Amino acid sequence: MTDHVAQGGLAAVETENVEASRYTAAAERGDAPLLPSERLWGFWEFTYANSALAIATWAFLIGGAIGLFVGPKEGIAAIVIGNIIGVVLTALSTTPMSGRYGVEQFVALRSQFGYNGSRVVYVLAVVLLTMGWLAVLAMMFGRSIDGMMALSAGEAANPTGTKMIVAAVGAILLVCVVVAKGPTSIKFFNMVVSPALVLLMVVMLYIILSHHSLSELLALPALSPPFEDDTLNFIVAVEVNLAAGFSWWPYIGNLARLTKNERTAFWPNIVGIFGAAALGEIVGLLAAVALGESDPTIWMTRIAGPLIGIVALLFVAFANMTSMANILYTSIVGLRQVGTASVRSISWGMILFLFCLIPLGLVVFYPQMYDGFFIFLVWTSALNSALAGIGIVDYFFLRGQKLDMRSLHGPQENGHYRFWAGFNPIGLLALAVGCAVYVIVFNPQTLASLPAFKYLTASVPSCLAAGAVHYVLTRLFARGRGWGLYP
Amino acid sequence: MENSDIDWQNELERRARIYDDIAAGDRFEGAMTSLDYVAIAALTLVLVAAFWIWGA
Repeated sequence: MTDHVAQGGLAAVETENVEASRYTAAAERGDAPLLPSERLWGFWEFTYANSALAIATWAFLIGGAIGLFVGPKEGIAAIVIGNIIGVVLTALSTTPMSGRYGVEQFVALRSQFGYNGSRVVYVLAVVLLTMGWLAVLAMMFGRSIDGMMALSAGEAANPTGTKMIVAAVGAILLVCVVVAKGPTSIKFFNMVVSPALVLLMVVMLYIILSHHSLSELLALPALSPPFEDDTLNFIVAVEVNLAAGFSWWPYIGNLARLTKNERTAFWPNIVGIFGAAALGEIVGLLAAVALGESDPTIWMTRIAGPLIGIVALLFVAFANMTSMANILYTSIVGLRQVGTASVRSISWGMILFLFCLIPLGLVVFYPQMYDGFFIFLVWTSALNSALAGIGIVDYFFLRGQKLDMRSLHGPQENGHYRFWAGFNPIGLLALAVGCAVYVIVFNPQTLASLPAFKYLTASVPSCLAAGAVHYVLTRLFARGRGWGLYP
Repeated sequence: MENSDIDWQNELERRARIYDDIAAGDRFEGAMTSLDYVAIAALTLVLVAAFWIWGA
């Protein structure tokens, strides 16, 4: 009898444990707010994760692109100025709420845009951006592998050839497998790769500085400045870095929700994303200008002979995979939240694979995208800077840092964040105004700009305009209509 | 299926209640304070001004 009762009790405890772990897994995927006790990352773990995200070859590539506009001295200034402003505004708009409530970023966004509006924002900001970056990073991985094989065989590299495409496709599929195993496997990946990459950057910097003195490097000219006006070239370089800083908007909120509290969610972005991205970009800038080539997969083969070139390319190829795993994980977590019931019913592994089909298609059918990544990056800032402005104003100034967990996660059709048919017209109008301001001030496609661009950049006015419109219209119209549970 | 929906709603309610309790007692551990915001504003201003003067 006693044994029977004891066995029954154990079975009940086991069932409870299974239920609890099922709920935790669901919360990790973003279906519910993570409780503080369930969160994985402390300060240094999140710093490692952020560094791993930032130290991809995209940092080298952006640094190389800066070298096209300005020389190293102006370039370093542009990297620091653009990244610190972009990263701080982006982190303020996303990480304090994720760190406080453990809420998934696009679920939290229902409070700003409505449950259908957050879907629109997700498609614009995440689907397009992540798919584009996955393709670009995979192609960089492929080019690194191709360059490494060419160096080993003593042949010329073929950056758009079959080897590059096969390696890029393999990278995307392998990343799918890593992410399918959940955040724990990404954490392991980050903890191993991130310190090794910091070391690699320091070694590269040492090699560059051992061939050129710092004063020689700083005096080198830009590779291909587009304008005669040096100030305009400098501001374009700042704008590219603002775009790089704001481009973290779709990702860091969902990584920050895995941290233990607000401070742990916010400050590591300054160390990890700003510090690591700036370091990577500076290495990329100096190498590009010193070696006369902006593509990192080419200058790495020239930097210090075949042996170090092979090691560097191999490291960087796998660093790309770390970044791909991070952005894919955060994007799929978001997709499950904003998707319809049919999207949510698709298994985690299958949804990962389906999401990767378009990047796979880009790699196979549009490898030229790699060379136009810079225009793609600046376009994203028209959206991300406006989203950052709206996020800061909504969470800090309109809501006093309070979100309602029941309204965010419960049935949406009659919830407080339904606004108008699931859309918040005010948030969406503010977003449109911010984007329009950006493109009027600075056209990313043609690089044409208004005179004000030289003094204000384009991302900062876009961020301010979107935030101001959202604040004023919400104060004037939202509360009277009972929209959005504003206090 | 219905039971599992009810269980899930109960779980969501449990989690919401935990955050209600934390908010009611203002017990958010490691919350950002005015000092954090002033520090990040100062750091940003110093970096922008210093590198603008040095590099532009």
